[in-house]
Amino acid sequence: MLSFFMAIAKWLQSTWWALDISGSTWIYPFVQATHFTGLSMWIGTNLSLDLRMMGIGKKRRTAAELSEALFWWNWLGLLIAITGGFLLFSSAATKYIPNPAFEIKLGIFIPLGIIVHIINQQKVKTWGAASEPSGVARLMGLFELLIWFTVITCAVSIPNFDTH
Amino acid sequence: MPHLCRLLQENSFILWLDSNVVLSLVLEIMHYSGFFLIVGTTAIVDLRVLGLAGRDEQPSALAEQLRPWMWTGVVMAFVSGFFMFSADALDFYEAYTFRFKVGIVLVALICGVVVYSKTRHWESLPSIPVGAKVLALISLVLWIGSILASVEVPAISGVG
Repeated sequence: MLSFFMAIAKWLQSTWWALDISGSTWIYPFVQATHFTGLSMWIGTNLSLDLRMMGIGKKRRTAAELSEALFWWNWLGLLIAITGGFLLFSSAATKYIPNPAFEIKLGIFIPLGIIVHIINQQKVKTWGAASEPSGVARLMGLFELLIWFTVITCAVSIPNFDTH
Repeated sequence: MPHLCRLLQENSFILWLDSNVVLSLVLEIMHYSGFFLIVGTTAIVDLRVLGLAGRDEQPSALAEQLRPWMWTGVVMAFVSGFFMFSADALDFYEAYTFRFKVGIVLVALICGVVVYSKTRHWESLPSIPVGAKVLALISLVLWIGSILASVEVPAISGVG
């Protein structure tokens, strides 16, 4: 299985865009900044909604109203983050594939976080319709919050497991 | 200033903090999370003032809801940033990219705070003034610029 992913990684790393990114002093930070801009929008809006679902902070807006107001920019953030992340990954794919922190981040916690986020976004209409969120809303908000903190933990741990 | 930086990075507490892998990781997580909170929430308010996001909500209602999280992010990013800076204070101080980053973050923060605090006034007018939209756009561009400046610090100066 690892050799299959490594073969894809080698191909990705030899594509023109990956070579452009890895071969330039300036492009890499720009792509990294794109990734972080998307992450700021995605994680920033997610955390705001999760905390509202947990009943923390101002309560003028219900969690359902806040979710609706943030909806499109929240998903646009993820789209930007994925685009930037894919380009960053392409530039050093063979280095990322065997990295356990990267494997756990991409293989477990990002899919889990997205699934929980979709459930929360769907269910917040009923769970978070009142000013005081229900018990299940608080629990799911906390659950999603912890998943994104785990994703950030895995991301910042990637250099610690770098074998190159 | 270099003397102060040396004192800071030779401080026993800072040395202990820097040598502790778990705490260093916690600081890094706190810094990133804080930054995501500041930029994410401020960008939404800026986009609302520009008429691009959450148009069913009044700008002031959105700003009021998100403001506490923006400030939470500011505290998280600045506290963790201070300790991260302290561990290599001299190198950071000498890196022009880091000074540029701090400068752009402070200007972005001022613009963001002005946008947050003026939303109620702007929505009381018949339409959101062009000046307000320009300021929101500047705030947005500065925050994206501050991210770029942040990633350029290690790329150019090798610090951090």
